[in-house]
Amino acid sequence: MDTKQKILLVDDEPAITDNLAPFLERSGFVVMTALNGIEALQRIAREKPDLLVMDVLMPKMDGREALRQLRRSGNWIPILLLTQVGESSERAMALEEGADDYLNKPFDPHELVARIRAILRRAKPGQPPISMAWKLLSGSLSLDRRARRIYLSDVELFLTPKALLLLEYLMTHPDELVTRDRLLDVVWGWDYPVGTRAVDTRIAELRRALKDDPANPSFIETVPGQGYRFIGDLEVAQ
Amino acid sequence: MKWFWVSTLAPMLVGLGIGLFLNFSSSYNPILYVRADLGTVFALFGSFLTFLSAIFIAFWVTNEKNRRSRLDMIISTSEDRRRFLQRLDHELKNPLTAILAGLANLKDDLSGENQATVTSVEDQAKRLSRLVADLRKLSDLETRALELSTVNLSELLEEVYNSVADLPEAAQRKMSLSLPRAPWPLAEISADRDLLLLAIHNLLANAIKFSRPGDTIELRAFEEDQNVIIEVADTGPGIPESEAPHVWEELYRGMEARGFPGSGLGLALVKAIVNRHNGQVNLRSRPGKGTVFTMKLSHVTTGKIK
Repeated sequence: MDTKQKILLVDDEPAITDNLAPFLERSGFVVMTALNGIEALQRIAREKPDLLVMDVLMPKMDGREALRQLRRSGNWIPILLLTQVGESSERAMALEEGADDYLNKPFDPHELVARIRAILRRAKPGQPPISMAWKLLSGSLSLDRRARRIYLSDVELFLTPKALLLLEYLMTHPDELVTRDRLLDVVWGWDYPVGTRAVDTRIAELRRALKDDPANPSFIETVPGQGYRFIGDLEVAQ
Repeated sequence: MKWFWVSTLAPMLVGLGIGLFLNFSSSYNPILYVRADLGTVFALFGSFLTFLSAIFIAFWVTNEKNRRSRLDMIISTSEDRRRFLQRLDHELKNPLTAILAGLANLKDDLSGENQATVTSVEDQAKRLSRLVADLRKLSDLETRALELSTVNLSELLEEVYNSVADLPEAAQRKMSLSLPRAPWPLAEISADRDLLLLAIHNLLANAIKFSRPGDTIELRAFEEDQNVIIEVADTGPGIPESEAPHVWEELYRGMEARGFPGSGLGLALVKAIVNRHNGQVNLRSRPGKGTVFTMKLSHVTTGKIK
């Protein structure tokens, strides 16, 4: 039995698959490729890869449609979408439609590998990803993602949209060290000067709202010099 | 004045000519008596006024038409430009992704000298990626919804100032922040705080980038009528008069600015942000003396913010 994990890389540009596939192989994965959504669905049925890295814009069947079809048929294979759009709401949509994570093109290939490893660590085979859950609970905290509302001990909290996006991302990636840069990308979609400060300000805002003591946190932990981690126990309500 | 206006004099000249000829040459120059009843006079007078107003309206309509088409042209050019930026961004993404992946691949195979070459190519590819990201930022800025809140400007300016003052280059310049405290501090304004911070940060970072060690840089703000004026002044090399109108354009780089790192989009971003807030940007510069960048924002919410 092969212990290497299998990745299906889907992109309509051969230049990308040709260059990315060897890099992923070098990083210790077995890589297959497909050129569009239809081909991807066939290969998934036949070869059962462990993870799917898929472009959004493709001819014949685009990544979003392939994602929808997979999830509708109850296939919970981990999926990382390669997004083209900068708008943060569109990226959040990618998660809600069932992707485990997304990465904006162009990206650093090392970042892709780091992201793939994090998803594979987090994913529970045969179960829907946390990113698809409409409601997330952690102790007295509950996040209703569809209504974009958040409650602490049944009292509704009012957060700025950006703080809410941050909390949502942290909660959908529990126990994972999320770098400030990544959080910036989540909120802005592009780099932002004094960004780390901006993230820190939002996290401070979140902690005040959640009554979370930074020195002894029950939700968001600071990883000094690196980023943040959601450490609360997470329950998923579908 | 256009030459065709001269042609309107023609009937008068012809009339004068005939009149003079009849008066001086002549044999035949009878006196005409015109008689009319009051009704006819009014009717004729009314027709004459109609004639005048028709001429006036004809001019007005042509003018308005020209103005509209100019406006349409401006709007469609800025739409075109935005679409162009979006497409450029889009078309560059895939090749860049492939290049970065290929280089990462190659790097592991090579040793020593060759690896250094690949690293330097990789740096350039990353530079292009940043440019693409900035282009996306710009088109995103022009369309994304503003997240408005009441912004305490003094606090915001202090935050920007402190974040920039931490930079190593800032230590070599005489930096100062000047905010009004008496009789009252700056008014609060309704704005997208993060975007405003980005704009002011870009101006201040620019001032540091283009000045020399020992130069003075001042960030200041004051109220004027219904507006808050934010200024970033430096004693840097200044901007030649011929370049000043262009510095706000995307990807424009002055002759002196070519040696500096950057995407050439910083000031275009500033302008886009200030425009979204219904404000104005401006600059005054004297080559060899320095430059003042000005941002004018209304602190009374007049009308709707775009």
